[in-house]
Amino acid sequence: MFHKDLGETGKRLFRDFPVLRMLWESGRKKGIAELVETVRRAEEFKRNYALPYALELDKRMEEEPEYFDWEIMRQACRYRFLSIFIPKQLGGSAGEFMVTNTSLLMDELCSGCSGMALAIGAHSLGVAPLVTSGAMGHWDRILGEIVEGERKMEPVTMAYAITEPSAGTDVEEPEFLEVAKLSLEARKVQGGYVLNGRKCFISGGSEAKYVTVCAALDKSRPLETWTTFLVERGMKGFSSPRVELKMGQRASHAAELLFEDVFVPDSHVLGYEGDGMANGILMIMAASRGPVGAIATGIARSAFEHFLRWAKTRRNGKRPIDEDRIRMNLADFWGMIQENRGLYMSNAMLGDSIFGKVLAAPVMVLTLSLPSFVRTNKVMNDFLNSRYGKAMVNAIMRYYIKDEDITQLLETASLAKFSCSDNAMELCSRALNLMGPDDSEERRWVEKAYRDAKLTQIYEGTNQLNRLVVNNVRFEETLKVEVPRPFKKGVVS
Amino acid sequence: MIAIPWFKESKQYAVLRSNAMNFAASELAPVADELENTVDSPAFWKVVEKAGSMGMLAALVPEKLGGEGVDPYSLCVALEECAVESAGFAAALLFHNAALVPLIYADKKELVEEFSSGRPLATTATAGKVDLEGERLRGKATFVFNVLEGCPVLLFPGSPAGHEVVYVKSDYPGVEAKKDPYPLGWRVSSFASLELAGAEPYFKLKEFQREAKLSTERALYLGLAAISVGIARKSFEKAYAYARQRYQGGKIIIEHQAMRMMLARMLCGIEEGKAAIRRACEVEELAPALIAWRRASNNACQAAMDGVQIHGGYGYMRDYGMERLMRDAKYCQMFPASEEEGLLRILEMVEERC
Ligand SMILES: Cc1cc2nc3c(=O)[nH]c(=O)nc-3n(C[C@H](O)[C@H](O)[C@H](O)COP(=O)(O)OP(=O)(O)OC[C@H]3O[C@@H](n4cnc5c(N)ncnc54)[C@H](O)[C@@H]3O)c2cc1C
Repeated sequence: MFHKDLGETGKRLFRDFPVLRMLWESGRKKGIAELVETVRRAEEFKRNYALPYALELDKRMEEEPEYFDWEIMRQACRYRFLSIFIPKQLGGSAGEFMVTNTSLLMDELCSGCSGMALAIGAHSLGVAPLVTSGAMGHWDRILGEIVEGERKMEPVTMAYAITEPSAGTDVEEPEFLEVAKLSLEARKVQGGYVLNGRKCFISGGSEAKYVTVCAALDKSRPLETWTTFLVERGMKGFSSPRVELKMGQRASHAAELLFEDVFVPDSHVLGYEGDGMANGILMIMAASRGPVGAIATGIARSAFEHFLRWAKTRRNGKRPIDEDRIRMNLADFWGMIQENRGLYMSNAMLGDSIFGKVLAAPVMVLTLSLPSFVRTNKVMNDFLNSRYGKAMVNAIMRYYIKDEDITQLLETASLAKFSCSDNAMELCSRALNLMGPDDSEERRWVEKAYRDAKLTQIYEGTNQLNRLVVNNVRFEETLKVEVPRPFKKGVVS
Repeated sequence: MIAIPWFKESKQYAVLRSNAMNFAASELAPVADELENTVDSPAFWKVVEKAGSMGMLAALVPEKLGGEGVDPYSLCVALEECAVESAGFAAALLFHNAALVPLIYADKKELVEEFSSGRPLATTATAGKVDLEGERLRGKATFVFNVLEGCPVLLFPGSPAGHEVVYVKSDYPGVEAKKDPYPLGWRVSSFASLELAGAEPYFKLKEFQREAKLSTERALYLGLAAISVGIARKSFEKAYAYARQRYQGGKIIIEHQAMRMMLARMLCGIEEGKAAIRRACEVEELAPALIAWRRASNNACQAAMDGVQIHGGYGYMRDYGMERLMRDAKYCQMFPASEEEGLLRILEMVEERC
């Protein structure tokens, strides 16, 4: 394979991300080619679908906040974005560099429309705990269904639900979870758990067929009993009664989820009781806050690209770009975008060096290369969903994924998240100030980016929380990801 | 609401402020959401009527011409108080009042009477490019609010020199209003760009064009600064109240220093904006008004953005009213000129004097 095989997309990526070129030159050609292919598909999505339609959809969502355009997800199927976090052996489109792939995808999609990108990204966020918890007992059924749906252009989606009406920041950090006022509780009963309470602001929660949900088994000891469940649409008592009217990123819904005596069987615990903070939250945040930095970067790029077009358009005989005030700022803006990319790429590459080891581990390769009927056969499936099966998977995961690696990953993720989102907000804001009251299509795009960017300072932990994480991990060493032993006694009293 | 303890005004303004505050609380606040969602609603005209009865529809026009004859600071006080409840409504009032300023120079009582009858409101169009060619208006005026059938629009054609102040009516032949129902902010009044293809002016100012234009601009910049302060105040009030009731991290969030810092920064911003406005009202010059506008609108944007942040996810949702402040504040910063254009004019104004 040669440079030229990577086409225009490869050329652009190598110019914007010299580190990719370096990896290519040093022999990681397959992985890099996969990244380029993802971005190429994202460019096509942006060109053919997002750009022609995003402003219209944004308006429509304002009039009909309940509306959801499934065409976004069908298009995502077409470009294979729904299986971006699903290993190849299971039919998915995850490449060798899974986190980098997701980050680059988000950057590119958000430079088209971050609302659509969120609809797609929130699904991957829902898939993530299923993959990282090593819940192999569900992989063939659910991940298989997602892949199959993608193939048939009948999207099957997931969502990730941790936020509760009175606990947002609190569910994202161990120290705060301990003192959180929670709504949702999962009570242990014979053969499973009964969930009661609410989650709120869940992206894609109203469309998802499967939702990964974190809940305390005992609200008075939330940290110790925090557990991740797989909840399925159709389970009795589970509903999504309302969606919000958001300022931006409107193409995706933020839904409230209601749990009224929802029975969830034992097999649907992802990981095990009490590992929810480490496995269900911190591990996911460590892998997803970087991509949120990429989302912010994509939004900044959207503002930048429209701003640049505006600046080069002659109006009343003049081009704005001929003025210093525009040129000085354009260079600043590009600097901010590249600074962001440096930050989210550091996180992504660290992520891939950690997770890549597991996916390449002989035992994992072997398990995944077995024909699916072996894994789905009842005996094997029961084993994988049993305590012993989970203990085995956990042992493998722990062998490859060290707590200190995830802690370090979390730090880089939080850093990328708040820096990229602050830069994006500033870029959009300054671009609008420079455009002033000019009547142009481009201004509408930058206004959209301005509304969209604000969300990136809030979700996946507010920027204040993410700054605390960096402090606690790096300067104070008080925040360490510590995956508890499987089946620690006393989780359920 | 929390009163800022060090803020003192002379009795005259304090009375005015208290009246405006009552108006905003009793007339505007109950319908603020409705105004935001439906342009040209009966509720809007009811508030406009009430504002008219309080002299807010010809505030700057001297009494002898049928106006209220107040000084710019008084108008700022009224606009600031209105903006606390509805920045969009305050902006509508401002564009209307600014549009009447040249009539003072024209000494046209009948026009003042006609324009301030209350429906439709007049408006000021400063952005875009319009020229007067052979007594016909051509070009495009952008970012025009209050555009309803038959509304008088004040324009400042770029050429020829000596014809800087002209009015046209929005339903005249040769005027096409391209409406946009979803501007980023100031949703209350109807937003459009006006394409002018040979429209006849309704009225042209023959003398004092330069003075009239500068006075109108000064009123606009001061008014926008005042609206910005109103937005910053509302952001503070909402964020402060929310921070005192939201529990997170083991305490109410106002006890987290990160929240306190943002709230304190808002107070500084409000005070800076107010001080700059007061200072700018003391001198009849454009540059201090521009400075006040920049200060106040930058601070309002920051305050509203921080207000959303303090509300967390709730701040991002329409129901909580915080995101609206963020959108409204942005237009205070982008209008009537881009930030740098405003900045460069400050230097130009000084150079002109040297
Ligand atoms: C559009 C949207 C989509 C979302 N999607 C999802 C999703 O898919 N899944 C999901 O689970 N969640 C989702 N969220 C929730 C999101 O992650 C939370 O909104 C976020 O974590 C903040 O929580 P909160 O809104 O409760 O704010 P709060 O936690 O109440 O924060 C309010 C303010 O207090 C500050 N604060 C809180 N605690 C502290 C502290 N200890 N020290 C200093 N400052 C503090 C915060 O920084 C913030 O400024 C979404 C939110 C939005 C708006």
